[in-house]
Amino acid sequence: MSDSHLSRRTLFRYGAYGAGAAALAGTAASWDRLTGADIPGRDDGALVVATLGSAFDPAAVRAMREGFRALHPDIDVRVNAVQAVDWSDFFAKILTQIAAGTAPDLVYVATEGVQLFARRLGVPLDHWVKRDAAELREYFADVHPSLVESMMYEGSLYQLPVEFNAADLYLNKQVLKRAGAELPPADWTRDDFTALLRQMKRAGDSHFTPYFWTNRLWGGVVPWLFANGTDLLAESKAPGGSWLWDSFYPAAQRAGRGGGFRWTTPQATDARVEEAYDYLASLVQEDLCTRPEGGNGSNLVGVFSTGRVGITPAGGFWAGGLHLAGMRPADYDVQYFPRWRTQRHQFGAAGYALLRTSKKQDAAWEFIKYAVRRDTLTRLFRANQTTPARRSMLTESRYTQTGPAHWRVFYDTLDRFPDTGPIPAPPQVAEVTEVLLKHTGTALASPRAVRPALRRMQNDLEKAMERDV
Amino acid sequence: MTNIQIPAVRPRPAAPSAVAARRTARDRGTRLLAALFLAPTVVGIVVFTVVPIAGSVVLSLFHWDVIDSPSFAGGANYREVFGDSTVLVSFRNTLVFMVLAVALQLLIALVLALTLNGRMPTWLRSVFRSAFFFPLVLSAASISVVMKYLFNQDFGVVNWLLGLVGVAPVPWLTSEHAAMATVILVYVWQQFGFSFLLFVGGLNNIPKEIHEAAALDGATGLRKHLAVTLPLLSPTLLVASVVGIINALQVFEQPYVLTAGGPGDATRTVVMVIYERAFEQLRFGEASAVGVLLFVLIMAVTALQFRLSRRFVHYQ
Repeated sequence: MSDSHLSRRTLFRYGAYGAGAAALAGTAASWDRLTGADIPGRDDGALVVATLGSAFDPAAVRAMREGFRALHPDIDVRVNAVQAVDWSDFFAKILTQIAAGTAPDLVYVATEGVQLFARRLGVPLDHWVKRDAAELREYFADVHPSLVESMMYEGSLYQLPVEFNAADLYLNKQVLKRAGAELPPADWTRDDFTALLRQMKRAGDSHFTPYFWTNRLWGGVVPWLFANGTDLLAESKAPGGSWLWDSFYPAAQRAGRGGGFRWTTPQATDARVEEAYDYLASLVQEDLCTRPEGGNGSNLVGVFSTGRVGITPAGGFWAGGLHLAGMRPADYDVQYFPRWRTQRHQFGAAGYALLRTSKKQDAAWEFIKYAVRRDTLTRLFRANQTTPARRSMLTESRYTQTGPAHWRVFYDTLDRFPDTGPIPAPPQVAEVTEVLLKHTGTALASPRAVRPALRRMQNDLEKAMERDV
Repeated sequence: MTNIQIPAVRPRPAAPSAVAARRTARDRGTRLLAALFLAPTVVGIVVFTVVPIAGSVVLSLFHWDVIDSPSFAGGANYREVFGDSTVLVSFRNTLVFMVLAVALQLLIALVLALTLNGRMPTWLRSVFRSAFFFPLVLSAASISVVMKYLFNQDFGVVNWLLGLVGVAPVPWLTSEHAAMATVILVYVWQQFGFSFLLFVGGLNNIPKEIHEAAALDGATGLRKHLAVTLPLLSPTLLVASVVGIINALQVFEQPYVLTAGGPGDATRTVVMVIYERAFEQLRFGEASAVGVLLFVLIMAVTALQFRLSRRFVHYQ
């Protein structure tokens, strides 16, 4: 009969579905699958160190990890290299990991994030530093106090500087030669700089740009603000810190030091800030430099090494990059930023920050100490991709292969201009940076746009700084 | 002519009540089966779409910075968003972008589809189809990185080529108006392939007889396309425009890589603001509030499109 036949078919069909589903479920249940414990940094007992992926080469990182294991076989270390385009992107990814419950123990943090991490996530290193003072004396003697001070927040030390980069100026010697100019002296002025740009422009073709800069916190407008004796935010020093200065630095070096920098009141409408923007606007109008959005750091090595750019701000990190791009030490050189009202330079530094959430804080401190050892840094910074925080590492032999001839400028910036300081990076740094970049673009987009843009910048900065981070 | 086959009559019909009972059982079985097949999709939509939307709505009522626990904010995030000029400008930019990009995308795709639908060797048609579709399979971020090099005012290939014919360097990415135009250009270049494929399919579905009849009535060239092709293609146009608008309202990669939203806020879009608020400034509540507003905007625009489609879309 057709009815009973249909019913049987349906029964067989559903039976087959059931069997298939059961087989699938069984297979899925028995499969060797990923669980939460497989997520890097979760529950495997290792000390997790998050670094900016592209900052160090993998072989060097491996050597660093193995070196640490040799010293501390009981501490398993995993380096979590986070790929990011810049520090802001890196911090965003670290915070995503924290939100996901996979916070690392240590994070490599640059000046841009020092105060944000210190205020919200970091652990002060004070008691470990005091405990191991004897062991650290050699380190502090080798590291400029300005770098250490930039890692302090409200009287406490949150990181030991590993590397830094001051914004000096790279000059293409091929372009200098074409313009019939010499490498400028260390005490050159802003007017000398402008004259040199004009000289270069006259000698170049229509595709040549004398001065290339990138609109960002480090190396953008801020070096010009510093040179003109001002800053985007009023700068002062937090009290405290004498516990460190008195222990590790001689009187001459600790004079004027405090418990870290404070950036508070916005001063975008300050006359000197306006003056610095007017100057950059005049360079843009004269076609002597790139426009804010035109400066694209990613192709800078290419355009500089091929002689389409004459001068650009960069730190020690660029020597290795230019060498890889095929530039010989004789092809370029480096000089300080020119003097305007002052010759104060800006720098950014970086080191490992210990997170509050870490359950391995003592092990993490051991890693921090290991990471700033001279032999560790020598292994890590083989290609001159940065300026080591340790002065003793900047030697003639280090720069023989890559240049530049005046490599001493990299560290001497700190000595020669003692007021040189970190880029303004309060805990509200993300918003401050966004406001700075946005309004710098507008200010220099057209003539007479500087003042309206700076007024808007001031308003936005005030709002940003009012926000409790 | 089509032959219509009459099904054979069953020899022994069962009693009406028994038939109804069997139908009910069969219907129930069919429904169960349908539910089983739909389940994976429904579960996927619920887990990956409905729950995140609900989560965003809830999160928009809280202050949350990832590090500390969320605290209830009521409508504070919405007040903050409505008072923030950057957010308002980003909505304006996104709407301008949507109108221009979708119009250009549909126009280019339609013209190319009509051109390819004409007389052309099959192999050449295949080459064009692949070429027009190819940018769509590339990553938007990679394309934008390359375009950023090409459109660089000082060192870009585009200005170099223009310079050969005496054109002064164009500030493609550094002038407020040119920057938005360049972002639209890059976006349309990558996206029009999708609309193009839809139109090619839609044109193939239009019976040749209708075009032949129109030609007999004297409709040729543009007149034929306006009076015959476009009305018959209107359902495809509706789909292409709905998808195009939804995608355009969520544009992120191109302005983020090409201009970072600048100069000033000239190319800052809503999704960029969501990203900046959430992942750079840790204001997840505000970011969610902007996300909810964007969701409402997309729903409203789509609803408006379907409402208008009743008047302008013709189904055969």
